[in-house]
Amino acid sequence: MVDQNLEKKILELKNKYPRKESALMPALMLAQKANSNYLSEEDIEKVSAIIGVPPGKSYGVTTYYSMYNVLGKVGKYHLQVDTNIPATLMGALEIVKHLEKRLGIKAGETTPDGLFTLSTVECLGSCGTCPVIQVNDTYYENMTPEKVDQLLESLKKGVYPERAVEYNYGTACNVLLKNRGAKDATSIATYQANGGYKALDKALKMEPQAIIDEVKNAGIRGRGGAGFPAGVKWGFLAKNTGKPVYLVCNADEGEPGTFKDRQIMEYDPHLLVEGMAISARALGAKLAFIYIRGEFGWIADILEKAIAEAKADGKLADLDIIVHRGAGAYVCGEETALIESIEGKRGQPRMKPPFPAVEGLYGCPTIVNNVETLASVPFVVEHGADAFKKWGRENNYGFKLFGVSGAVNKPGVYEYPMGVSFKELIAAAGGYKGKVKAAIVGGLSTPILKVEELETLKMDYTSCEEHGTALGSGGVMVIGEEFSIPEIALRTIQFYAHESCGKCAPCAQGSHTVVLILKKLLAGHGEPKDLEILERIVNTINVVGSTLCPTGQAYAAPVKAMVEKFRGEFEALIK
Amino acid sequence: MQIMINGNRMEAKEGQTVLQAALANGVYIPHLCYHEKVGAAGKCRACVVEIDGMRGLQTSCSVLAKEGMVVNTQTETALQAQRLVIDLMLSTGKHDCLACEQNGHCELQDAAYFLGIERPSILYADIDREIDTTSEFVHVDRNKCISCGRCVAACNGTVVNQVIDFGMRGHSTEIVFNTNKKMADSTCVQCGECSQICPVGALIDKNSIGKGRIWELDKVSSVCPYCGVGCKLELYVDRKTNKIVKVEGAEDGPTNDGMLCIKGRYGYDFVGHPDRLKTPLIKENGQFREATWDEAIDLVVSKFSAIKEKYGPDSIMALSSAKVTNEENYTFQKLVRTGFQTNNVDHCARL
Repeated sequence: MVDQNLEKKILELKNKYPRKESALMPALMLAQKANSNYLSEEDIEKVSAIIGVPPGKSYGVTTYYSMYNVLGKVGKYHLQVDTNIPATLMGALEIVKHLEKRLGIKAGETTPDGLFTLSTVECLGSCGTCPVIQVNDTYYENMTPEKVDQLLESLKKGVYPERAVEYNYGTACNVLLKNRGAKDATSIATYQANGGYKALDKALKMEPQAIIDEVKNAGIRGRGGAGFPAGVKWGFLAKNTGKPVYLVCNADEGEPGTFKDRQIMEYDPHLLVEGMAISARALGAKLAFIYIRGEFGWIADILEKAIAEAKADGKLADLDIIVHRGAGAYVCGEETALIESIEGKRGQPRMKPPFPAVEGLYGCPTIVNNVETLASVPFVVEHGADAFKKWGRENNYGFKLFGVSGAVNKPGVYEYPMGVSFKELIAAAGGYKGKVKAAIVGGLSTPILKVEELETLKMDYTSCEEHGTALGSGGVMVIGEEFSIPEIALRTIQFYAHESCGKCAPCAQGSHTVVLILKKLLAGHGEPKDLEILERIVNTINVVGSTLCPTGQAYAAPVKAMVEKFRGEFEALIK
Repeated sequence: MQIMINGNRMEAKEGQTVLQAALANGVYIPHLCYHEKVGAAGKCRACVVEIDGMRGLQTSCSVLAKEGMVVNTQTETALQAQRLVIDLMLSTGKHDCLACEQNGHCELQDAAYFLGIERPSILYADIDREIDTTSEFVHVDRNKCISCGRCVAACNGTVVNQVIDFGMRGHSTEIVFNTNKKMADSTCVQCGECSQICPVGALIDKNSIGKGRIWELDKVSSVCPYCGVGCKLELYVDRKTNKIVKVEGAEDGPTNDGMLCIKGRYGYDFVGHPDRLKTPLIKENGQFREATWDEAIDLVVSKFSAIKEKYGPDSIMALSSAKVTNEENYTFQKLVRTGFQTNNVDHCARL
């Protein structure tokens, strides 16, 4: 129920943003929390009226993002099990089965006492610590059937158990994971004691153009997945428009297999804050946003605390940073969709041009950079472009976080120079666990490589391209011999069909159709024409421009590669 | 400026998109989400072409024509993408052309015809969406909706009624009215803009269903009789019965840009109504009888003349209507001032 108290909070939210519509998503989330995790039609209408948007717009928003519960009520505890590829590779389906048995319900159902709703969900960004269950807002990682039993017993008593997470990590560069393991790593005191904010001090004495030049010279390529040089992107910023400039940090980490940005935000938030402060100075932005995926609620809290600390310490004299939470939509990782989402709309990509650097957030020049990219900026500014270029090779400079999940002994996040051999990375992750047949090395949207192709692979843009794949976000998923590739293909395409924004026809209908074809094949009803049609769809959509944004190619390329490289497994399913 | 399309040099105007230039030169490129009134959306991806010097496929609806640009709308890559889009749309909806009201008036059908797609070939989806027949004038069949977004853009941007929006996501995306209400229960005022701009048979005029196919109808331009705005209409008239079966706003109407209100679009039943007056009536002994125009006008003239004679010109006052045209209003005041010789003339819109 939207009562007076809540109305007051919503009005405060409205004042927080340059435009009132931006308050819509957080306001709807507040209303949902106030109504036992459910948004009624009345709630939506009331919130719309307070914000001043048509109710249809709000309904469109609530049914677009998966974290709003509009279409049905959920139990007191909403148990959401990630069953995406890394999770599947690491035993999530057994956890689902165990939960179904223990609760006496199927996924998608609620227990008769209204206590538990069980759902299977797409990637929660915890690939290194799968299986993971999200209970309302809280993550429980590295789950086993025994831990599930303990969790259920505790929840029945109304108690959220303590989150106990043991992460594997390692660093060969000591930059992005420098403060990992330090006591109170998230505090400004620890950060500064370890040399933090020195780069900002230096940047404040530099001309903005000098900062841009340094970043350009470093040749750092965007770490979100597309690999576009960050300095070049900054150079596209429209100048003297008379409009404000916005810096937006893309923390919508959602590419399956990717769980690197959360390592920075969760354990070294000041590194990101410092990176943003320097970048904002370079670009002339007075207001910046961190768009963080809604599931990372506690990490958003950590960031807000760090920003407040930095503000109190005078580090952000000329900058405000708003942490804006998403609400469950993979496509918001695409920069124009992300901007739409901040503007309180359905997070769907825009047509380009205009590019955000010319016309982005609220129609103003905007730079959107990934967390890891921005967190690399302090090093570049403090030590110079040449120091950054000591790692890697031309077009592939610097350090990089790699997330390794699936069939390895120590899944986790590892910081290595660009160009580290795949073998060395796997060795750092404890080596293969059992017999391995393939790996996806750049997040789920990149083409699969057979185990023999991995022998010569180096983890940089150039080598990945030479191997017919892409470095993407550096999310490595190792696939054990026991997994069927058609099943992996189905889980892959189910993810994209679930996340396709629905704006352009070939992506939405194409992904859904491929799901139906693969289901038919796996159910044993496959006919030769099914595989032909599947290939026609993915081959056509694999062409850049056939869809509005790269999401089309993000599913076409991996499915195409799976069929081409493991054709025998697909053909075996045909009568 | 000049651009090359499919090897032919063609004239393009500054500010034109490739699609607009192609269409103006008689080159058809399939397109479904683009409409001149709501602009380019880049959504349907049916209008993709290849342009020299540009990577991959480009939506011709959004790329501006430039001097010397070399465009190819029919490369194998472009055609394959166009065909996939149209085939997927046909395959994932219920587009039964034989019985569809839009047959012959459907842009999806035009695209399929152009691309030689006789039957949908990607038949996996099981579509069964509820048909919304609740509203008085608009029939809503989401099984035929291709999510092109024209109605959403028109409802929010053109007529600014803000009723229609997109709900859900991915292939489940569908148009919703307010918070997913039935159309009749929503704040829709039945202006019918959505039905006019819908390229397929998803939003159609309910009262026209079964009254005739597009090729059986004559299109007649007219002006709306309801008010002084003077919206330009296109009447669709059954050739055999000479009855109006459908009304659309003329997209080139200078006062309405194709828009109409509920009355102009749907209130045409009076035209052929049996109760409609066809001759003047004169009341005699408490009973109306049919009369000729000469007879009626003579009677009115004699009565007004008698009043003027007896009480003077200023005893008469005249009021004209906002429903008639400026020209008619001008003529009327002229009649009053010169014929009745009084300035007691006014207009209802001043009240």
